[in-house]
Amino acid sequence: MIKNNSKYNIIIVGSGFSGITAAEILADHNLSILLIDENIHFGGQLLRKIPEELGEYPAYKPEKIKRAGFNFVDKVKNKKITLMNKTILLGVYENNEILIEYNREQTFSLKYDVLLFATGARERFLPFKGWTLPGVYSTGMLQVLIKSSGVLPARKILLAGSGLFLFAAAYEFLKNGGELLGIMEQSPFWNKIKFFPQIFHQFSKFAEGGKYLSRITFSRVPVKYRRHVIEARGEKSLEEVVVGKLDTNGALIKGTEKTYRTDALVIGYGFVPNIEAPQLAGCALEYDREKGGWIVSVTDRMETSVEGILAAGEITGVGGAQKSLTEGKIAAYTILEKLGVEDEEKLLPLFKKLTKERKHHLSFVQCFNSLYGIKPKTILEIPDETIICRCENIDMKCIKNAYQAAKSCCDPNSLKVATRCAMGQCQGRICGPVIYDLLHVLCDKSPEEIGLFSVRPPLKPVTLKALENLRDS
Amino acid sequence: MEDLRIDSIKRKQKIKFSVDGQELEAFKGETVLAALIASGVKILKTNPVSQEPRGAFCGMGICFECTMTIDGVPNTRACMTEVHEGMIVETNDKK
Repeated sequence: MIKNNSKYNIIIVGSGFSGITAAEILADHNLSILLIDENIHFGGQLLRKIPEELGEYPAYKPEKIKRAGFNFVDKVKNKKITLMNKTILLGVYENNEILIEYNREQTFSLKYDVLLFATGARERFLPFKGWTLPGVYSTGMLQVLIKSSGVLPARKILLAGSGLFLFAAAYEFLKNGGELLGIMEQSPFWNKIKFFPQIFHQFSKFAEGGKYLSRITFSRVPVKYRRHVIEARGEKSLEEVVVGKLDTNGALIKGTEKTYRTDALVIGYGFVPNIEAPQLAGCALEYDREKGGWIVSVTDRMETSVEGILAAGEITGVGGAQKSLTEGKIAAYTILEKLGVEDEEKLLPLFKKLTKERKHHLSFVQCFNSLYGIKPKTILEIPDETIICRCENIDMKCIKNAYQAAKSCCDPNSLKVATRCAMGQCQGRICGPVIYDLLHVLCDKSPEEIGLFSVRPPLKPVTLKALENLRDS
Repeated sequence: MEDLRIDSIKRKQKIKFSVDGQELEAFKGETVLAALIASGVKILKTNPVSQEPRGAFCGMGICFECTMTIDGVPNTRACMTEVHEGMIVETNDKK
């Protein structure tokens, strides 16, 4: 177990593709390294597999990039690195200090020379009536349940939302014996075709897409485009889902409603980078719709605007495993140079090669994001009684009223004070991106003008018991 | 109740845990959330504001919809906790 007030040369937050890659490279240089991750297992959201203690899953055959990732996870476990799972970053302070919580039991105040944020991304949602009913799950939850615990959310589901990940979820579900009632894609089919040249550019991605589509085609699952979930209904849990067709502006076409009987609806609308920790640390952020919205600004060497803090992976732009892997490498070599372990001259050719690689991956990011954009009209048409903030139960009407009462208030923080939206346990992680989009449309202002919810420590809820050991220090 | 576990996985160690006083079976290595979903438990809490039933949503520690009291620790996320033999789980489903 680590000691309170210890100092590490490097602290890495997040063990997904970029974090684990950086850790693996840094481990061979006699530096003190701490790698923390909130999850039970290391590897982040993509590198999930049935844990050894649970059982064997012979049917699971990860593709090349994931095999490389799992290899990094295994290697890191045998190296001179302090690994902490079930660990949450609570705060980032001046003088290179952070506060973490381990296993809901204890907190530690630690110091670092270099801090690397590799906090990944979460899912984006589009609220509809009844999306809070038990039985409405995210595509991420479906993937996590299957890949980490070997459990299906239900035997029969309806899938709805937008993006490549919807098809990945469909593939995983069908492969494991689930029955799909249909896939309701929000965006038009035309969107996919216009990105074909880019998909060819990255053949492995194309092959992946082809794999998903062929499985879906052969299982005769109906795939519908420009479909929008109008309502999820049920008394205590989900019983039926109403879906309608959208016109080219994203408005619902009356009379196109269709009802599906199902006790499970799985939804996903793309990704949002987890920028809360870098935001708290004071790192400059920028808005880039093609990269998933608000991201951390970085140099070619993965340095943020704050001295001693780097960022890599999905938080610098949602772009998948290969981009994260490359950025993890760049971050690691930048750190080695910063700490004087390797000299710049020796690293230059390596940086040149990796920067080129990163540019290549970045040219693909818009396929992950803007391809499946949700139209402003669709956001404006969210009915009044739709819950926006799940934690505090704040609906669209309440938000619109507060906006009007404050004479077109366009500041998320004022809206928060007026309505209690984003004040619950998730601290605005689910409703935040929706509210930013909503204000963007209502106010007709740019995302930069609207800004973000402010963040403060603790970044996630912490027990008083866990804070007890800090009382005397 | 139908078991939602994927057949093709060869599981190792069966365990028992209790949920709101009722004994359920699970496998070592599963999360509490997966064990609950597998046994058909999907209403996990009553939203304190609306008093409406809620269930798990994001499955990866973001939304806090699956928080419950686990081995006496309140507000613990079921999706981020491994189930173990003899675990005592109290959901926040007040109905």
